[in-house]
Amino acid sequence: MSLAAGLAESTVRLATPLLLAAMGEIIAERSGVLNLGVEGMMLVGALAGFIGTIVTGSAWIGFFIGMGAGALLALLHAVLCISLKTDQVVSGIMLTLLGTGLTTYFGRGWVGGNIDGFGRLTIPVLSEIPIIGFALFSITPLDYLTLLMVPVVWYFLFRTNIGAEITAVGEDPETADTAGIPVFRIQYACVLLGGVFAGAAGAQLSLAFTNFWATEMTAGRGWIAVALVIFAQWRIWQVLVGAYFFAAIDALSFRTGGSVGDVLLGQEALATVANFLVNPQVMQTYPYIATILVLWYVMRQGNLNELGAPSSLLTPYSREQD
Amino acid sequence: MSMDDILEIENLTKRFGDVVANDEITFSVREGEIHGLLGENGAGKSTLMNMLYGLYSPTGGTIRFKGEKRQFNSPKNAIDTGIGMVHQHFMLIPRMSVLENIVLGERETSTAEPETGFRDRVRGLFTRERDRPRKRVTELADSYGLEIDPDAKVWELDIGEQQRVEILKALYRDIDLLILDEPTAVLTPNESRKMFETIRQLVDEGLTVIFITHKLWEIEQMTDRVSVLRDGELIDTVETDGVTQAELAELMVGRDVLFRLEKGAVDIGAPVLEASGLKAEDDRGIESLSGVDLTVQEGEIVGIAGVSGNGQRELAECLIGFRPLEDGRIEIKGENLTDANPRAFVDAGVSFVPEDRYEHGCAADLSVMHNAGSKTYRTDQFESGRYFLDYGDMAAYASDIVDGFDVRGVVDVTETPAGDLSGGNLQKLILAREMSRDPDLLIANQPTRGVDVGAIENIRRLMLDQQENGTGILLLSEDLDELLDVSDRILVIYEGAFVLETTPEETSKWELGMYMSTGEPPTQEPPTEIAEVSE
Amino acid sequence: MFSVDVSSRESLPRWVEYSLPLLTVVAALGVSAIPLAWLGVSPLQSYREIFVSNPTNIRGIANILVTTVPLFLAGLAVYLPLRAGLWNIGAEGQLFVGAIVGSAIALNLSWPAYALLPAMFLFAGIAGGLYGAIPGYLRAKHNVNEIISSLMLTFTATTFAGYLLRGPMQGEGGQSATEQLPTAARLPTVGHPRLHVGVVALVIVAVLGYLLLNRTRLGYEITLIGANPASAVQSGISKYKTYVLVFVIGGSLAGLAGIIEIAGVHGRLFEEFSPEYGFTAIAVALLGRNGVFQVLLAALFFGVITAGGTTIAVTQNVPTAIINVIVALTILFLLTAEFIKDHRLTISFDRSSGTGDRGMEEVS
Repeated sequence: MSLAAGLAESTVRLATPLLLAAMGEIIAERSGVLNLGVEGMMLVGALAGFIGTIVTGSAWIGFFIGMGAGALLALLHAVLCISLKTDQVVSGIMLTLLGTGLTTYFGRGWVGGNIDGFGRLTIPVLSEIPIIGFALFSITPLDYLTLLMVPVVWYFLFRTNIGAEITAVGEDPETADTAGIPVFRIQYACVLLGGVFAGAAGAQLSLAFTNFWATEMTAGRGWIAVALVIFAQWRIWQVLVGAYFFAAIDALSFRTGGSVGDVLLGQEALATVANFLVNPQVMQTYPYIATILVLWYVMRQGNLNELGAPSSLLTPYSREQD
Repeated sequence: MSMDDILEIENLTKRFGDVVANDEITFSVREGEIHGLLGENGAGKSTLMNMLYGLYSPTGGTIRFKGEKRQFNSPKNAIDTGIGMVHQHFMLIPRMSVLENIVLGERETSTAEPETGFRDRVRGLFTRERDRPRKRVTELADSYGLEIDPDAKVWELDIGEQQRVEILKALYRDIDLLILDEPTAVLTPNESRKMFETIRQLVDEGLTVIFITHKLWEIEQMTDRVSVLRDGELIDTVETDGVTQAELAELMVGRDVLFRLEKGAVDIGAPVLEASGLKAEDDRGIESLSGVDLTVQEGEIVGIAGVSGNGQRELAECLIGFRPLEDGRIEIKGENLTDANPRAFVDAGVSFVPEDRYEHGCAADLSVMHNAGSKTYRTDQFESGRYFLDYGDMAAYASDIVDGFDVRGVVDVTETPAGDLSGGNLQKLILAREMSRDPDLLIANQPTRGVDVGAIENIRRLMLDQQENGTGILLLSEDLDELLDVSDRILVIYEGAFVLETTPEETSKWELGMYMSTGEPPTQEPPTEIAEVSE
Repeated sequence: MFSVDVSSRESLPRWVEYSLPLLTVVAALGVSAIPLAWLGVSPLQSYREIFVSNPTNIRGIANILVTTVPLFLAGLAVYLPLRAGLWNIGAEGQLFVGAIVGSAIALNLSWPAYALLPAMFLFAGIAGGLYGAIPGYLRAKHNVNEIISSLMLTFTATTFAGYLLRGPMQGEGGQSATEQLPTAARLPTVGHPRLHVGVVALVIVAVLGYLLLNRTRLGYEITLIGANPASAVQSGISKYKTYVLVFVIGGSLAGLAGIIEIAGVHGRLFEEFSPEYGFTAIAVALLGRNGVFQVLLAALFFGVITAGGTTIAVTQNVPTAIINVIVALTILFLLTAEFIKDHRLTISFDRSSGTGDRGMEEVS
């Protein structure tokens, strides 16, 4: 397999967990609730999915168990933030800590186990296409599923009545409430969906991307998903592009050593700079820096209507009792 | 109550704790009429309408709509019954399009008449139909002359257009009664004219309209009958043709009260405030001050009369550096402070009592002491070394001013949070803080609003005392009695400009009321005795 | 149909208000007992070790104090902006920045200890302060949400540290770690080989922090802005200056925490030197939200748990992750306690047809 094809294939597979988690996060945030617990939910999804697969013998059932685990943690977040109106930031970080702690603790005994997870599903003919054929048509079922979910989620959020109501709730819950929209029910549903997606993302890691469980195997991907949503300004197709962008960085970082710069450019000083820029860890900072830059750029313009963030994000809604 | 009354309100009452916002209000609205609701701010108009719209639940009394007794639990409830309302503050989502805003909550599907079976509910959620609604909206807009682009985003529209969207929202849902709350408050004269044409057209098509306003000429022009509210009570319902603006003004503001507080002769000195050409915008970016000039001298109390929303808040905030000026110049005691920040104004000896005690006037969670020191902490009064504060001194200061201004409810200056004090006492605390530093200029915006009667007298006395100390006071108030009592000069502000300058001796409540509500000099005779309906 | 109605509480019975922190802790420990029991470990035995036997022997005390230092400093790094109404989620990143800069100085200047140590601390503090200034500035100038910016910067710093430790700062041995720092760069110990003198920071910083917040003009301004930004601005306080300052001071405290850990505990900088101190600091700041000394107590509490957790990891063969679990549960119950403090829940039965949620009568 050529370098390019291998890179493309890695990118697609690395993008899947990011895409799943980010899509879930967009749904939650569009209803006005920030979920910083994605990393924790992914981890419980990964562990629960792994254990579930071993116990039931079926990767698909394990996958659904993983989704359920993510949803459970999200339920906690929903109760805390929507009904008890506690601080969304703290609740999210707490859930990440909880998820990390619980999975490290309980997962200790499962490290080193190995399963038959999701194998590749190769589509003949299409997968022969040079470079991208392998990447797009010889991947695991979960990868296909995720790619299919992208237009589904887009349609759900932007072409249905319920999607319009979710947007309304995230923009101005008071107006939505006055129009008869069930604000709390929608917020709960969206946060839970976020958890389902995050759990799925985690399960994908332990069942499809790899076939094992390792402590803290998400390696910060949950946080990257949070950054991705902001970077993509809360838009689905931008998330797709962004996920591939971040995943490509991830894929590249596995492959580059120090010699790229020397190869590409002859000059000593430039080579050092280039080497620096493609260094694996340095590249891993790009998603975060990119996100800050995007945010800074948008906020600078001053027109908050350009900022993709739902206007009532982070503000708990409570009806004024008279 | 006649057969063609679409709305009958009987003894409707609304209490918030001890405060009675609406007291046994009784009137009815005939089908197909334009019924005006007139009153000053705080008279209870909005509370009344909010009960009709399902935002408040009545404490007592009954509402009959189309003959049936009704209780509205929510705005959706009210709208489904046939009552629509266009608020002063629009309930629109700026980022969504006009069409989306209008259709929000209706779950339009491709089936024209939605059934309520499970399948239809699912379809309602997971599909979306916009062609039929778009057609309907365009038809409605055309038949009422409301030009609108259904796909424009609301934040791109100007205020007049946004208001049209609000009206379309109501019309879309087949209402029979439309309530408009101060609809021209945010419109230009031209836009207002168009609005009136629209209303007439709506009524021609069979709609009934309740029109809330404080502007007398609008009542005269638009309404068939008008109900006047004052201090939570219904004063009278009259045929518009049978009453003059002057009579309406007097119904609205009440009789002149003849007694005045003892005012000693005070020497008026050099100007402490000289402002010229002040232009400013409100929070929505609309011009709210259109180039006003204002001077306040040492020892002088200048009163500014006006209905809330005519630029008072913006004026006050500009004069303390809290709001940017679009144009104009401000000098405090000869020092040019145009475009200066609040700190410069505070340090120059300007004190401020804001309109909203809780939002701007204090930090409710902090102690009385913390709040007491917030304007003086930079002076050497509590200094203890260059960077340090002596909280012992601050606490003593707080105790002093609390005693001096009779602020009740303070158990411990360092412990009692300011938010625990009653409204009146909190106001006294704020006044104490602002006055005790012996300012050169004191700006007080509605200082006695929401304060109990006993404290009101108190506060006015304090202002007179401060005047004797040489402070120049700018008093913005909706309470005409108050202005007539204490001011040396009175200015009336209307739509961002001063339309009258006079003195208490030369004017009267009804004249002020006329200027406040029309912006123009009265063209009629002062009223003779008007029989008031007994409450 | 029944409905749950939530209404604001006017006041709280005193006994509830004072015992709430304690109840929070008890609840967290109670739930944490489940995973302990799951592994066949006796919760009571473990808790006895954490709360009784560990704090009563010299080695345990040394460990607890040493663990409390970064927790307290990072806790203050979160607490100070919190007082001003802002969230500093970037303490972990600022911690790393301080550790990196301090270590770099230690490895590159061959000065004697009395000059090297102050230089390390000074520059670690400055570096942390500058790094913290970024979210503060972005918020003050452009209203960029400081939660997101400080969070992003945290991961930038920790990831970049990975690069430095595998590259320019890498020591011998090929791991992602530096060389051992020279002896001159190590904090001397006193009484017990693990008890480094950095623990005096607990006292010094606590006192300085208390004085800052409760005795200076700046502290007054911070308090006022946190309580009501609009009225604070009307009083003449500069939002811009205050926002930037709290992040600078907070950042430098976190930076100090970082270098103290390296110079006092580990002796070299490696990637995993911080067990999420910066995030636990959020819990510390919340638990101690009423004052600097309360923050110190909260840090001490989490120090006891963290130190105890590492002890029982050995004695009871419990994964150290139990610490994270206990910390997370403490935050969870803290949040619930906050809610209970401010609200009263009433469950009522009503027979209305439910056309809307408004207008329901409260029964109790």
